Amino acid sequence: MSFLITCPICGPRNGYEFRYGGEDKGPRPDEADMTPETWVEYVHMNRCVAGASKEWWFHRDGCSAWFTIWRDTTTNLQVRAPDDALARSPADAPEGES
Amino acid sequence: MLLPGSTPLWDTRPPLRPSYDAVLIGGGLHSLATAYFLARDHGMTDVAIFEKRFIGYGGAGRNTAIVRANQRTQENVPLYQEALELWPVLTRELDYNLMFYNCGNLNLCHSEAAVTAARMNIASAQFQGVGSEFLEPDEVKKLVPALDVSDRPRHPVHGAMFHPPGGIVRHDAVVWGLAKGASERGIHIHQQTEVTGIRTVDGRIDGVETSRGTINSPRVLLSAGGYSAGLSHRFLDVRLPISPLTIQAMVTQPLKPLLDHVVSSGAYHVYCNQTLKGEIATGAHMDPWPNYTTQTTAHYLKHQAEALTDILPCLRGVRFMRHWAGLADMTPDMAPIIDGNDPIEGYYLNCGWGYFGFKSCTSTGKYMAQYLATGERPEILEPFTLNRYKRHRLMGETAGATSYSPWN
Repeated sequence: MSFLITCPICGPRNGYEFRYGGEDKGPRPDEADMTPETWVEYVHMNRCVAGASKEWWFHRDGCSAWFTIWRDTTTNLQVRAPDDALARSPADAPEGES
Repeated sequence: MLLPGSTPLWDTRPPLRPSYDAVLIGGGLHSLATAYFLARDHGMTDVAIFEKRFIGYGGAGRNTAIVRANQRTQENVPLYQEALELWPVLTRELDYNLMFYNCGNLNLCHSEAAVTAARMNIASAQFQGVGSEFLEPDEVKKLVPALDVSDRPRHPVHGAMFHPPGGIVRHDAVVWGLAKGASERGIHIHQQTEVTGIRTVDGRIDGVETSRGTINSPRVLLSAGGYSAGLSHRFLDVRLPISPLTIQAMVTQPLKPLLDHVVSSGAYHVYCNQTLKGEIATGAHMDPWPNYTTQTTAHYLKHQAEALTDILPCLRGVRFMRHWAGLADMTPDMAPIIDGNDPIEGYYLNCGWGYFGFKSCTSTGKYMAQYLATGERPEILEPFTLNRYKRHRLMGETAGATSYSPWN
């Protein structure tokens, strides 16, 4: 099955028009009390979920929009946010939970 | 399926003990090699390998069989060099033909920048005592007459890095040979047994949960190739700097001998070698987004054919017979994550090899065994700790991770 990504501006487009932008790890850590640990967690560390994963995409060969989608990493298809996603959203999850 | 009268090379249904001295998660080459060396060098035979599917299912059976030791950094080269030296040793020791064919690797340069990078790699290799030399285009042509070194290709050949000691090894034979060697020494290889959790008590490893029950063990090695990072997060909430990308490979129909070296090109994004069966095995492409599909794509099959036939025009019209894909667990600095007892006592990691897992399995298994047996990290593994990221000491294995990361 072809890999389509829904751009919020252009609608569903061929996945190869887009650049992957990493897992959604929530807001950028506050600069004020930044430690090497929090920075490295934010920049490098991944969950590598086999299943639905919320991630950033960039419409490189299109409108240049940055946006997040949910994608099933075992099928490579865009999926709807899981029902409990809002409660478990990486952006909202408390420290150490996912 | 076995022929009548034949016996399996290894014990395929060993009894499941309630506890082991060490549990290795994943039945790939790094686990098998670690198990073999635990028994050979350290007398540790109360060891179990747990594999969800069957040994050799993952990267062990999906790579393109290329081995070499011409990496870029001084931390990496010695490990790969020793791995290369171990193929003939293991062939004798395991009494099993691993079909090591040291035909040499030829890495083409298509720009002045690539030539400069190659010269640095060559200097590093020579400094470490690894055979590597620069070849001018006419020497390249002499070595591999089928290559087009004229001005016609989109990216003409400016020269090449030639690495004579590298080549190819029959990857399935390595799986079977190491399984045989480990099993003969008493290691239990439990296939179709999924590890579903890692147990800890007071910050120490206590064992694993499996699809066949709880197994106690004071030490657990997570060595599950491309699946390691997801499992580490799922089991222990330890996240790793890894992106699992699918890497694609394919073979052509069998041809008469025309290529007796491994040829690779960064600019074309292709590597190829002719197998002993005559097929041209080729690959290199990764989907630039993490996924566990292990599917090939028309997008890349087409590109692979275009790239391959531009450098080797004699292959035009030749058909691909089979194609497949495997997982490469890429780290930002193209070097593995090898660690132990941090943050959990008794928890060991060996992953993040990207697409270097096959060529490194023998020597890494040897040192991983030492690590597990003694609890002390061997010096050669020191550079690969997870906390190099926290210290911002990433290794410069690639000049720029443009092609081999999810960020290209």
